[in-house]
Amino acid sequence: MSDRPRVGHAEAPILVFHDVEKRYGAVEALAGVSFHVNRGEVVCLIGPSGSGKSTLLRCANGLETVEGGHVVFEGIDLRDPRTDLVRVRQRIGMVFQHFELFPHMTALRNVMAGPLTVLRMARPDAEVRARELLRKVGLVERALNYPAELSGGQQQRIAIARALAMEPDVMMFDEATSALDPETIGEVLSVMKRLADEGMTMVVVTHEMDFAKRVADWVVVFDHGRVIEQGPPVQIFERATVSRTREFLSHLGWQAALADAPSGAATESPPALPPPPQSEASR
Amino acid sequence: MTYDWGVVWEYRSLLLRGAGVTVALTVLTMALAIPGGLLLAFLRRSRARPVRSAATAFVEFFRATPLILQVYWFFYVLPATFDIRLSAFSTGLLGLSLNVSAFNSETFRAGLTSIRRGQTHAALALGMRPRQVMWQVILPQAVWRVLPALASTWVSLFKDTSLVSTIAVADLSYNAIQIRAQTFRILEVLTAMAALYWVMGYPQAKLVDWVHRRFEVTE
Repeated sequence: MSDRPRVGHAEAPILVFHDVEKRYGAVEALAGVSFHVNRGEVVCLIGPSGSGKSTLLRCANGLETVEGGHVVFEGIDLRDPRTDLVRVRQRIGMVFQHFELFPHMTALRNVMAGPLTVLRMARPDAEVRARELLRKVGLVERALNYPAELSGGQQQRIAIARALAMEPDVMMFDEATSALDPETIGEVLSVMKRLADEGMTMVVVTHEMDFAKRVADWVVVFDHGRVIEQGPPVQIFERATVSRTREFLSHLGWQAALADAPSGAATESPPALPPPPQSEASR
Repeated sequence: MTYDWGVVWEYRSLLLRGAGVTVALTVLTMALAIPGGLLLAFLRRSRARPVRSAATAFVEFFRATPLILQVYWFFYVLPATFDIRLSAFSTGLLGLSLNVSAFNSETFRAGLTSIRRGQTHAALALGMRPRQVMWQVILPQAVWRVLPALASTWVSLFKDTSLVSTIAVADLSYNAIQIRAQTFRILEVLTAMAALYWVMGYPQAKLVDWVHRRFEVTE
């Protein structure tokens, strides 16, 4: 176990899941999930498909209702009938597997959607903010393109900018790279990495184990709607205590990769991050 | 038998006035039936079951009975039973609008349900209220998507307006039939009537074809 304390442990956690239960008919999607996310922390949720990771993210901003336990965001219990879920969602950015950009709006207008509609910001101010964010994700020259004219990786970067435009306290990524061509995964991961470096609190559902290992501060392993193990990446990827975790990782070929490296060296020599998108050079 | 095409020229103003009424009826009906259809589509998605059922009953009644019967019904029943007296034109407009609203509501409903669930989730996740999600994100996409269907309804409506001639609305059909009755020039008058409908209807049909090509969903 790492002796280093968790990032942000001195403050109250920003997001707490306590014994969360959710079922779809006879299927128990979440069977008592508990963990928390500290401010400034990058928490990666890993585990087999259908293990409840994505469902949990949707419970965290009230897109799905919870049937047991509690989800508490910034001290607000989402199950409290007095809670205005709309206000909670304004503080949580979400990025989806299939981007879900609004196809009838340009890239710029997509990024302006939150500030204009939700924050009621003046149009010129919203545009300044949106252009700044498009620059940040390296797509300012695509501002007036429609989503259909952009590659998957570009669309996902714009979706990230759209979520950031609300200046959220936490960003949630629901398999943000799973629907992308291999050659565009890197540009999205590097945007996410940069966000993490800037200190953004992030909850990331991912199958990209390299990313989880290098960027996460905390890793939560899901299986069959339960958390089977959680800890810092060093623990999960090198000294997993639960056999099911090791099994899952070896299925992804992780064990083989580990066997190649001298023990303990994996942290020192991470696989190189793909180069950032071209236009970032102008930053 | 000799043909006397002069009769068409002689009654040109009556024919053209009738054509004008036909066009006005089409435009006004659509102007009422688009918001009407939208309203019905929303009512059919209401959370309150009685609202939903009432809207469904309305739509199913108008879709499953002949338009001519509906027009007659309004013409005879409204004044006799409810003492509501409308001009023939208003009665025709009312019947057509309700009928086309019912059809449009089905079109809009199909359009609204065709928008992916993820779009709603994305808009909600940004912090939009359900009403904003509908008006800013879902509805614009749905309307875009059903434009071809609405255009087809438009062309059907243009021709169906001729049914109101049965309640003495002075549209193109009614006037043409009146001229025929006065002059007994059946072939000439009906040919002129067909030509007028075609001259007006053909460009509309072509426009619809263009709308179909331009807006057909390719996702």
